[in-house]
Amino acid sequence: MDNSIAIKLMNISKVYTIHHEKPTLVEKFIKGKEEHFTALHNINLTIKEGERVGIIGPNGSGKTTLLKIIASITTPTSGKMITNGKVVSLIDLEAGFHPDLSGYQNIFINGMLLGMSKWEIYKKIKYIIQFADIGQFIDTPLFTYSEGMKLRLGFSIAVHSDPDIVILDENLSTGDLDFQYKSMDRIKKLIKEKNVTVVYVSQNIYFLRMLCKKIIWLHNRKIFKVGDTSLLSKYAQCFN
Amino acid sequence: MQSELKHFWELLWAMTEKELRARYKYTIFGFFWLVANPILQMIVIYFVFSFFMKEPIQNYQYYLFVGLLVWNFFSLSLTKGTPCIVYERSLIKKARFPRAVIPVSIILSNVVHFLLALILFIIPVLFLGTIVPSHIPSIFFGLVLLLTFTSGLTLLTSALNVRFRDVSFFVQALLIIWFYATPIVYSITVIPYKFMWLWRLNPMTSVVQLMQYGFLNAPPPGIGMLSANILTTILIFSLGIMIFRSESKNFDDWL
Repeated sequence: MDNSIAIKLMNISKVYTIHHEKPTLVEKFIKGKEEHFTALHNINLTIKEGERVGIIGPNGSGKTTLLKIIASITTPTSGKMITNGKVVSLIDLEAGFHPDLSGYQNIFINGMLLGMSKWEIYKKIKYIIQFADIGQFIDTPLFTYSEGMKLRLGFSIAVHSDPDIVILDENLSTGDLDFQYKSMDRIKKLIKEKNVTVVYVSQNIYFLRMLCKKIIWLHNRKIFKVGDTSLLSKYAQCFN
Repeated sequence: MQSELKHFWELLWAMTEKELRARYKYTIFGFFWLVANPILQMIVIYFVFSFFMKEPIQNYQYYLFVGLLVWNFFSLSLTKGTPCIVYERSLIKKARFPRAVIPVSIILSNVVHFLLALILFIIPVLFLGTIVPSHIPSIFFGLVLLLTFTSGLTLLTSALNVRFRDVSFFVQALLIIWFYATPIVYSITVIPYKFMWLWRLNPMTSVVQLMQYGFLNAPPPGIGMLSANILTTILIFSLGIMIFRSESKNFDDWL
């Protein structure tokens, strides 16, 4: 296989089963039929190593589903996906933290969930704590942390996990301005030093233009247009 | 492949440690609760049942206690393990990792507690003098059977519970009946032969009997019972792994 390809999606479709009420075993056996909803329809996409791709599209166009499939959090209903290298998603940064355990213990669990080995975390823990900037709180339980501290800790673990492909979404802009710029800088540094591939879903034209070279426009669960950042102004016009 | 396996074990151990640390974090007596519960259960059952028993069981307190330890491990693993994927949905949405570490780490943390309680139990039993050296392997065999059955069943119920949330309620109800369908408070010898097939379907019968045999020299499970129970255990274990594998691909769709 061509090594310069980071992500390749071939005829990817994702169909969800709609559950109106709480599904029960009994209901399934009595009714027997299910209603379906297609979230992605026949997506073909190749992202090369080191490419920075922005994904835009109105709500409900399938952006999140596409990210989840690339991050292997869910499996496509049909089609095939190949990824080359370690995929780390920066989508839900605070997910997986245990409130009763200390920051230190949480770094280990979270880092391992992201695929780091224990030894790797030992080596990097100094830098992780330093970047997260949580000072003496590192050995207090996580429920004493502020939202910003949790966000910084989650981000710090993720960027130190040595990703080849980084998946971002607009959740990154939930922190304060200082954190937003700090995190953006850090991602730029990753791009410069390691040539990581970036997939970024956002409605924020400013950040998209700053970070991405290639833009994929999703519409109605299909790829509508692929192009460079000039698509962004068209997109903005469309929805303003 | 090898490093993937190593990572699985590392992650599993870290999650188990998390379970152990978090459980008794803000309790004063900590681990003590684990032994206190079966002791209280044992005292109550001992008083009630010794009035009704026609043929008394030798060393009934000990007989009850070992059965209760096994049962508490089993029921705690199942009640905590069944809804675990739903409770840990934030982990599922975070990253790609082998989903099985979530239920298996819960079982492992219970194994640690169970073994510690079992070691404490051995001390008085040694003074009782019922342990026959040649029976000791049956204890280990019982433990292997118990672990296989518990993990297989928990993988099965935790995977099904994502789609069908009734499963965890069903398990809770089933456990109440199941307790009396396992020879913990009584001896299997009181069961009429025509109902015996029911106990043959229940792998916990052999597990409990093997432990009672190893520690207290109570009658061991018969060969028919043992083979039927082993067969059921293997079936449940394979089914659990199969269902968990296929369901875990789409856990995210239901959370």
